[in-house]
Amino acid sequence: MTEEAGESADTAFEKRSRALFQDSVESVDFAMRSRLTQARHGALEAAAAPKRSGRFLGVSMWKPVAGMAAAALLGVALWYGPLSGTLSGNHGVTNDSQNNLDDLDIVASSDPGSVDAIDMLQDDLDFYDFVDKAANVGPAA
Amino acid sequence: MPRFDTLQPAWMVWDVPAPARGGAVLEHTQDLNQFLAEIERRAFRMAQVALRDPDDALDVVQDAMLKLARSYGTRPSSEWRPLFYRILENGIRDLQRRRTVRKKFMVWLPGAKDDPDNEALDPLDTVADGGPDAPELLMQDQAMQRLESSMRALPARQREAFMLRNFEGLDVAETAKAMGCSEGSVKTHYSRAVHSLREQLGEVW
Repeated sequence: MTEEAGESADTAFEKRSRALFQDSVESVDFAMRSRLTQARHGALEAAAAPKRSGRFLGVSMWKPVAGMAAAALLGVALWYGPLSGTLSGNHGVTNDSQNNLDDLDIVASSDPGSVDAIDMLQDDLDFYDFVDKAANVGPAA
Repeated sequence: MPRFDTLQPAWMVWDVPAPARGGAVLEHTQDLNQFLAEIERRAFRMAQVALRDPDDALDVVQDAMLKLARSYGTRPSSEWRPLFYRILENGIRDLQRRRTVRKKFMVWLPGAKDDPDNEALDPLDTVADGGPDAPELLMQDQAMQRLESSMRALPARQREAFMLRNFEGLDVAETAKAMGCSEGSVKTHYSRAVHSLREQLGEVW
């Protein structure tokens, strides 16, 4: 095929495809035409409306603030552990992590005046031994 | 001391700030409305060709209208067309990217492997339209469907160049502005698009 013939075929192809596209545009149904009109009016109204306050350069200023607040809250929650506090009389709220630290203090304490952890464990074993023997003794005849 | 030489004659007498340009704004809005009314159906069809889904196409067109009106409405009206199509093509590309990401994500979900994008063919789509019986209409419809199908197979830039140049009638410079590339690139994309389409459709057209 010569160059001229190729160009001519290209032109014919372009014309035909353009005509087909134009036909398809004309055959857009009325429902869609109506939606397009509504979309246009909506866009023009929205563009004409004054921008909401609290926005800077099109970005809502509340979003970063809310994000930072959420991040801070999450950080606090992770730092102090789960928020499963219990009310304890006059002491107000005492959370589990504080209790755990107290328990650890008691067990790890090497103060000679305090109760030794091994003694506590021995006491427990004696108690369970006693319960076991009591259970095995039958009822008095 | 007021500077009368800079004031318009109509309110020079009162020596007050110029009145709000309500009339100009209204006229400008009317011009924009007229411009959008002229191109909205073609823009919708172009978006539909690229996205297949009419609702997605409508969303993208509306978004482009809003962005044009908000950000570029005050520009000279001669600039609106390439700007509008640039926004539209960006919107189409964004949506296609989101679809791709969604597809990749959906593959990991159970039961979604066979049809990740709910794009299973509706059996009704394959049934011949029972509306107008005119063979000419039917042939045109089929020819357009083939053209659309072939255009979807093109690389995105070639498809954009072909639609903007051939369907929308933008010249090379306007197309380059709309596509955000050089005029040389537009010519190359367009030429390749025409040859690819002709190769694909040559036998049936």
